[in-house]
Amino acid sequence: MKRRDVVVTGIGCIGPWGIGMQELSNALQRAEPLSSPIDRRSHYHRRAGAELLAACGPLELSPWLDAQQARRMSLLSQYAVATARMALQDAGLRTVRSDRTAIALATAFGPGAFTEQLTRQILEKGGKAASPFLFTDCVANAPAGQVAIDLGARGPNVTICQREAGPLLALAHGANEVAAGRADVCLAGAVDEMSELSHAILDRFRALARGRGEVPRPFDRRRRGFLAGEGATILVLEPETDARARGAHLLCRVGPTVRAFDPSAGRASFGTGHELLAATLRERIAGTLCEVDTIVSSASGAVHGDALEARVLRAACPTRTNVLVPKAVHGEYGGGTLATALLALRGAPFGYPPACSEPDEALGIAPTSGFVHARRVLCSALAAGGVAAWSVLEAP
Amino acid sequence: MNPPAVVVTGLGAVSSLGVGVDRHWQQALGGHAGIHPLGLFSTATHRTAIAAEVPDDAVLVPGRNLSRAERFACTAAAEAVRGIPNEVLRSPRAGVFFGSSTGALYEAEQFLRALLQHREGHLAPLAAQQNDGPGTAVARMLAVQGPVVCFSTACTSANVALSAALDALRSGEIDVAVAGGADELCETTYAGFNSLRAVDSRPTRPFRQSRAGLSLGEGAGVLLLETLAHAQKRGATMLCELAAAGLSCDAHHVSAPDPDGAAAAIGNALQAAGLSPDAVTFVNAHGTGTTHNDDAESKAMHAVFGARSSSIPVTSSKSLVGHLLGAAGGIEAVFTVLSIVHRLVPPTAGDEPADPALGLDVVIGEGRALPAQNVGLSTNLAFGGNNAVVLFRSLRP
Repeated sequence: MKRRDVVVTGIGCIGPWGIGMQELSNALQRAEPLSSPIDRRSHYHRRAGAELLAACGPLELSPWLDAQQARRMSLLSQYAVATARMALQDAGLRTVRSDRTAIALATAFGPGAFTEQLTRQILEKGGKAASPFLFTDCVANAPAGQVAIDLGARGPNVTICQREAGPLLALAHGANEVAAGRADVCLAGAVDEMSELSHAILDRFRALARGRGEVPRPFDRRRRGFLAGEGATILVLEPETDARARGAHLLCRVGPTVRAFDPSAGRASFGTGHELLAATLRERIAGTLCEVDTIVSSASGAVHGDALEARVLRAACPTRTNVLVPKAVHGEYGGGTLATALLALRGAPFGYPPACSEPDEALGIAPTSGFVHARRVLCSALAAGGVAAWSVLEAP
Repeated sequence: MNPPAVVVTGLGAVSSLGVGVDRHWQQALGGHAGIHPLGLFSTATHRTAIAAEVPDDAVLVPGRNLSRAERFACTAAAEAVRGIPNEVLRSPRAGVFFGSSTGALYEAEQFLRALLQHREGHLAPLAAQQNDGPGTAVARMLAVQGPVVCFSTACTSANVALSAALDALRSGEIDVAVAGGADELCETTYAGFNSLRAVDSRPTRPFRQSRAGLSLGEGAGVLLLETLAHAQKRGATMLCELAAAGLSCDAHHVSAPDPDGAAAAIGNALQAAGLSPDAVTFVNAHGTGTTHNDDAESKAMHAVFGARSSSIPVTSSKSLVGHLLGAAGGIEAVFTVLSIVHRLVPPTAGDEPADPALGLDVVIGEGRALPAQNVGLSTNLAFGGNNAVVLFRSLRP
């Protein structure tokens, strides 16, 4: 079967900015980090540790998820189901053909709060105290399973756990399902929640920006770590021919994805293999790279991660492009970079993050601000541990 | 142009039976189950007390800072890649596709226990607390430079990884893939499955009338996959072909399997391979030993194979090594490949005859001889309604 061109016809997103693309756009225009103090009542954190989190807070999900449904699932599954419905609504799809609908979601930590709660039950009260309800919804693929149940989606259903690279890998996996003809609709994206324990562990690895008032500073010389975030972003992928035939509004075309690994990375750190990563990127999509006009960067304020990102982008994309750093606003995790890419293709305005006012000259790269009228966006994702992915999204 | 054929050129296994593929095969042929009283943690507060635990004397890749699952993964991967030059793997044309459902949850439990006692636990293994830990550890050990993708779809994780590796090889993105899964025992999954009353207090008895649940296990199963042309060019020993995979979702219930979903996954794999159900010569089943799973799986086989269901040899490796969760597909793929290589289906452990109500030809007692050319399915069903089937076949003469 000939491979099919794949387009995005709908998007749903929730995060620390609230619900939907307009709220995200407003936040990116303000360019201030969406951080608030994390709940530390469990005393998992060290005294001098990170105190901020880009939390979703209470979200009004009732238009997409009724209270009875919500009670039967973890918060993470609630995010996934509500966001999937939002995405389908945006795509103008009221129903999906069950056996032709696939799901490809990424999650870095899975349902962390449920897992933490279940493990505490067991450690504190013994194995017999374990809740079966918590257990069945604490597997990493529970959100994707709940989306499938909610929509009746019986096609391939995968969950990818690849830290910060997960959202792009899920996008690529979902696009491949559609391109290969194994599905006619795929809901692809990411869903993450940041539990108190996960936050405390990330902080112990010195991954997070520290200290009250400390903010993420992508590509800034003062950067000290990232802001942990949460949320969900889900795209509706369809074959272009099907989407055009039903008169769908095309948000973008899904271009190639390049996947690579930097073996010089440590288990929880970034490596120094920028030459290798850039060479792989150039070798795979040299022609497309020349036409990229906007980069949605994975820079998050991580000291070594941003340095690697800058070196790779400078080596692979020598032509002048817009560089967006949405993680300065919504933090790491939750797939907000995918939504940011679509905003860039819509011509949205982006503010300059005040926290990035002193670009690191050694990196030779700085964020862009203003209206971005992108035609071809390169989304970049470098994960701690060595995995890298880049996806191209093009104006239809 | 037809996509390139993909062949298996290496295998690696770690489980309660020990380390090494040869050891696993010998134990399997004898029907020796590695399910014993659990020593990794106290079972005093749990409903059951046995599991398929990797023995203390198993020789694993060392690493104080690695989680158990990472060590299982790296040990099995090191065995799988024994026959391939390092420089072939240290390339953008080599990737790792891996599955895990627990990551480093055992170590995370130790860490949380310490925190609850106002102590600092051992932090380093938690670098792998996310479920990508074992797969990324393999990628780092082998220094691959191509795609690295880790899946966590509960008990289908490794089969989904094999499916993704197959796609990457066929698309031309890479020439070589290391694919499989690894998982470790921990209190959370042990108590969790017990809370569902899904764990047998005796060693699991898949497809038997008296079946009363699964036995949890741990370990890793890893395959070295290459395009046929690449394997031929380097003169590799080819074991069999990974011909297709089929995925589906029940969209029915988070933890109760639906036969229609499993049947769809088998059908998708057969369709992808361009084969009819009549071509299948044996099935390495998910076969957990729970009433619901074995019922649903047998119904799925009846839906796909019809009257032939009662004459296709079916075996459950979980009767030998327990349920390896995210690694189940990896170790069961190893057994499936070995069955094709040796033309022999190992028995499902235990003497009790198969449950006649299931209407399956369960291999019990002694191994079952296979014809010269074989098509073997390895099926996995999972929480979330996930189903994943991989299809191996003999090399064509």
